[in-house]
Amino acid sequence: MASFAGAFASSHGPLLVREWESIPADQRQRLTHAFQELGRRVKAANPDVLVVVSPDHWSNFFLDNYPAVCIGIGETNEGPPEQWMKAFPSKELKGHAAFGSHLAKRALDEGFEPSLSHRLKLDHGSCIPLWRMELASMPALVPMLVNSIEPPMPSLARCLEWGRLLRKAIESFPGNLRVGVLATGGLSHSIGEKTMGAIHEDFDHQTIKLFSSSEESLLAFLNRELPSRGNGSEEVRNWLVAHAAAGGRGFELVDYLPVPAVIVGCGFASWRG
Amino acid sequence: MRDYWLSKMFFDLQQPALAAEFKASKDAVLSRYPLSPDVRKAIAENDAPFLAERTNAYLLRYYFFTIGMKDAEFIRRIRGG
Repeated sequence: MASFAGAFASSHGPLLVREWESIPADQRQRLTHAFQELGRRVKAANPDVLVVVSPDHWSNFFLDNYPAVCIGIGETNEGPPEQWMKAFPSKELKGHAAFGSHLAKRALDEGFEPSLSHRLKLDHGSCIPLWRMELASMPALVPMLVNSIEPPMPSLARCLEWGRLLRKAIESFPGNLRVGVLATGGLSHSIGEKTMGAIHEDFDHQTIKLFSSSEESLLAFLNRELPSRGNGSEEVRNWLVAHAAAGGRGFELVDYLPVPAVIVGCGFASWRG
Repeated sequence: MRDYWLSKMFFDLQQPALAAEFKASKDAVLSRYPLSPDVRKAIAENDAPFLAERTNAYLLRYYFFTIGMKDAEFIRRIRGG
């Protein structure tokens, strides 16, 4: 049977690429170290497959059909479509069709109804952390795109359920695989709205603290606070999936720093699970 | 509220070729989408608050990035400045 290799989380944001040189040197150094430390932890976990839990920033889906959750079950996915991501080293990223399909089947068997895709574009949300972690070799990637962009979105409680389902799927996969989970996005930020640029450090610190507390208090806090903490903060859903996949324990903060130059409260974490 | 065709145009403008065409000949691109006169006016005037009521915030930001507006100017406009 497959085994759970660990869970990881990293912020992303276009300005981490487009405005990298504008970031003050001390913050750039901390961000570099945080990405590299996360990469070191991923390498140490040695996953064969990494389930990348990220939003789709209008790269695959439009208003015609915007799934709450989409699982990539293809052999291959595409690299980032954004022009400013053209330096990303891979045009194509290897998937893991067998595990993706197993996850999808297990989800459907247990009353979840994900959308499925045999070929996805993995935009900056997935690829900035993968890039900046400087992994020597890229594991096979199974994308799990969770809507945190266009309301209505999956409930926070449902994201935790998805995480538990993901863990069950990992541990029931009939193959000798090590499967890790990488959540991307958050913490607080605001994009394309009146509050754009705002970073809520108090919200971020409390969110981080509550990842070491009970799920009930974490959910209660996020359900109460998220509506007023900027639309980008909604991406904490992905962290909830990772958290629950790790059994809701073992959270370790790698670093947190608010970076006004990239308008994101940047968080990096892992779970021992 | 979502204006489907406004949102569709913003979505489509993520394609570099169309974005280049939009910069060269905005009216030609606009003519392919059944936009209402008030929406066309808002686009012409870069009226971010008006457009924000009709599309997704990420698409709105992409649009203004595509036309070359700096974030600081976008933030000033979205706040009604």
